[in-house]
Amino acid sequence: MSLKNALTRLKQIPAVQQQFNVFTSLNQAAEEQLKGGNLDKQNSDAPLQNLLCAIKDNIVTKDLPTTCASKMLVNYMSPYNATVVELLAVAGAVNVGKTNLDEFGMGSGGTKSHFGPTKNPLFPGKDVIAGGSSSGSAAAVAADVADFALGTDTGGSVRLPASYTSVLGFKPSYGRISRHGVIAYAQSFDTVGILSKNIGVIDKVFKVLDKSDSKDPTCLDEDSRAKLRSVVPQQRKNKLRIGIPREFTPEGVHSSSVKRFLAVVERLIAKGHEFYPVSLPDIKHSLPIYYTLAPAEAASNLARYDGIRYGFRNDTKDSIDNVLFAPTRENLGSEVKTRVVLGNYNLCSEFVDNHYIKAQKLRVEMIDEFDSIFALPNVLTGSNGAKNGVDILLSLAAISEPTTLNAYETGDSRSPINSYVNDIFTTPMSLAGLPSISVPAGELDKPIGVQITGQYGDDQTVINAVKELL
Amino acid sequence: MLKFSRNYGFKAVKRDFQLLPEFKLKCGLEIHTQLNTRHKLFSYSTNDAFASANLPNHHASFFDVSLPGTQPKLNLEAILYATRLGLALKSNINLNSQFDRKHYFYGDQPLGFQITQHFSPFARGGSVELTKVLNGIDQEQIQIDITQLQIEQDTGKSVYKDSEKVSLIDLNRSNVPLIEMVTEPCFSDLKQIRSFIKKYQNLVRHLGISTGDLETGAMRVDVNLSVNNHCRVELKNLPNTSSIMNAIKFEYERQVDIIRNGLAKTLLAEPETRGWDGTSTVKLRSKETSIDYRYMPDAELPLVRLSADAVARVKASLPVLPDETIKLLMEKPYRLSLKDAKILTLNASGHGQQYTQKELLDFYLQAFNSALENNGEKANQRLLTNWIIHELLGDLNRLGLPLREAIAVVPPTKFAELVTLIQEEKISNASGKLLLFHILEQTRDGSLTQPADLHGIIEKFDLGARSVVDDEELLKVCSEILSSVTDPMMLSGITSGKRKNSLKYLVGQGMRLSQGRVKAKLFEDTFKKLLNANW
Repeated sequence: MSLKNALTRLKQIPAVQQQFNVFTSLNQAAEEQLKGGNLDKQNSDAPLQNLLCAIKDNIVTKDLPTTCASKMLVNYMSPYNATVVELLAVAGAVNVGKTNLDEFGMGSGGTKSHFGPTKNPLFPGKDVIAGGSSSGSAAAVAADVADFALGTDTGGSVRLPASYTSVLGFKPSYGRISRHGVIAYAQSFDTVGILSKNIGVIDKVFKVLDKSDSKDPTCLDEDSRAKLRSVVPQQRKNKLRIGIPREFTPEGVHSSSVKRFLAVVERLIAKGHEFYPVSLPDIKHSLPIYYTLAPAEAASNLARYDGIRYGFRNDTKDSIDNVLFAPTRENLGSEVKTRVVLGNYNLCSEFVDNHYIKAQKLRVEMIDEFDSIFALPNVLTGSNGAKNGVDILLSLAAISEPTTLNAYETGDSRSPINSYVNDIFTTPMSLAGLPSISVPAGELDKPIGVQITGQYGDDQTVINAVKELL
Repeated sequence: MLKFSRNYGFKAVKRDFQLLPEFKLKCGLEIHTQLNTRHKLFSYSTNDAFASANLPNHHASFFDVSLPGTQPKLNLEAILYATRLGLALKSNINLNSQFDRKHYFYGDQPLGFQITQHFSPFARGGSVELTKVLNGIDQEQIQIDITQLQIEQDTGKSVYKDSEKVSLIDLNRSNVPLIEMVTEPCFSDLKQIRSFIKKYQNLVRHLGISTGDLETGAMRVDVNLSVNNHCRVELKNLPNTSSIMNAIKFEYERQVDIIRNGLAKTLLAEPETRGWDGTSTVKLRSKETSIDYRYMPDAELPLVRLSADAVARVKASLPVLPDETIKLLMEKPYRLSLKDAKILTLNASGHGQQYTQKELLDFYLQAFNSALENNGEKANQRLLTNWIIHELLGDLNRLGLPLREAIAVVPPTKFAELVTLIQEEKISNASGKLLLFHILEQTRDGSLTQPADLHGIIEKFDLGARSVVDDEELLKVCSEILSSVTDPMMLSGITSGKRKNSLKYLVGQGMRLSQGRVKAKLFEDTFKKLLNANW
């Protein structure tokens, strides 16, 4: 990447921002940092030199506000950088700005932001959704103002907008990238993901970020990483065994999307890869499990936003009817409030062994099911890997192409379930913490992604498989 | 005669309290103990909950303030301390415990939840024995069963400024490690409760895991109480032993009243929580108003996995527990009184002492053995004990000199030698005291760093006892003292035996003049002879 090219694209940001509402704040020093990075001799071999990146605004940065697109954190300045922000800076990438999102990462459309919806750059002037929750990150890449962007994927928040904007959206295995400084939505799922149009860039950025971090108790430590290295294949396989889950054929998927999917299958067969039908019966429970666990964790994680120590605070009252912090917390957005209420409901003690704990047990069963079809062992569960198992799974990443903002909001206002269904292909991988990537398979006016998923820790096979497909 | 009574505006709690046999008291305790680890439970902040007065919110990391994006980092020292306590209480250590979130909103609860152990606590079971001999309870022996131990975070501290209608929040205490210990409802009277609290305090101090102070809030006791098996009431906000005792008395009498009036079915039908306002218990919340804590396993803290081997190693490193030491000291060859054995074994408080309990006990045992070696059966154990407990500790406190430093100059063998000199009347008691103080003072000031040469100093200051006293000189000194007495009634009182105590005054004068080198008995005899006192 050349400095000149990067500088040219920086200049396009204001126009892109105005048209698609991609960013929540912009780095005014980006140009200076780009030039400075080029003057610094020591940086000349930095792996991400001259690459422009955008960072989802739920990842804390010292130099720009971190808002989670919420009124609760408008103008909030973090006193520290997230680990990923530090790693990118050291690797030479220049952050162009913080990207828009569904408030606290809760949403599939990119519409539920305090700063207004992100619009899809593939459809200028048409007000089409970009998908969420990493809407701005996907849009920044789609609009070519960033070489790559960091998003977070909790139930599909990187892969779905990638599918809608026709870019690559990679969610690594849970625990490979530090979450220190990533503002928690549901931290047993939250995973930092990478969006780009270029698989080589994703590969490079992943290698920069794939580090242990003692500040994040869920980040894989060196011992676990060594264990991983001992089981994952060292050589790229020429012939992949690819599974297609029978259960991933829900009604209502548009025939044009199915056609795209089959075209991908044919291309891979032509290259000598083998396909096998596999069955994951528990997958049908994945949405209920996800929408039980994630909101419960969210209700807990968002309990800290009381306005006392930072962020928005009601300037006259701290309680209504003896309910502490209600005057402040009523300023959370409607979708966030829905999920906080749902989460608290599921944690209530009146359900013996509350719903959260039951859903957790089902989650474990689902992971076992994945283990039963992959050839590779799972170092987390200790499964040995299935005989004649598959290397990767292939499915669609979304049930449809993106709709217009209006259509999305109408469906959503009828029932939030209409929006939750969008996550049906992506949540199972989040529940199991598997590496998964959405790869563009449609055309620019009919964007749809196919999703490649690997066994836990086998991120490299997933990245390599993309190269077969492009 | 005129009587005058003051009215302070509240009912005196002085009334005689007594448990009534037909109203059976049953209590259990929940004790929260702050661990004195170096760092907080889930962050690297300094664990100093009491810096608040001068430096509020000083020991508060990004995590303690619950900044967005921060994560907990488990402090393994807290796990070690909890293991020590669990083993000392004979509990079963859970090799796979977990942390859970307990949700409720409060200004001094920055996360909006407390990280605790609800679903799978750190240890279960265990017991503490109380006996009449050691703990002063009325029964010969009872056993208090432990329900469980859990590790959790302390909250911050709210300071209420009613006049300004605000509360100030100090997060120095936020995230300080606590152990909550819950007992079964095994207590049936107040003495048992008082003894248990004392013993538990001693235990945490002995294990070196907490200061155990109630006054500072490092230890906080809640009481579960029921009468005749009606619903239990939980008593909270009990800042010291006397409020614990008074709250139990008050609540017992309140419930007895309710039962007597036939109102138990309505007033004692549901569990409730009551606080103590200094004079009475007041309802804080009942079942309807209680909070649903919405417990949830913490999604990012890993399971606390311990190997049986690690637990065994902690067990091997535990100090001998106080009960065993006390028993040992009360038996042959030491034969100490309970009081002295306790002084050598138990910390009076967790701080402000010039020695650790182990240092003192080791000093005593070594001095004792050395005395035994030198004098065999003739060794005077009582004298040695008294000199260690009263003279040595008194001097150390007065001089602010740690025992550890004193040992360099007066090792246990040297101390035994000093006591032997006194026992054998080579120097008088008074000279011995002067000598010890002198040596320790020089140690503190740094002019003595090597084991002291007792004989050299005795000679230098001419402290040796006068074994042969010149009778004439003695008579002369005594006569001088008598002639300086201005109260003739005193002298005649001594002669007649009516004012025997006054003789001690005269002896004291003599001791002072002779700088303690002449035995008191000699003075006593001489004075009596001079005054013709034949009693």
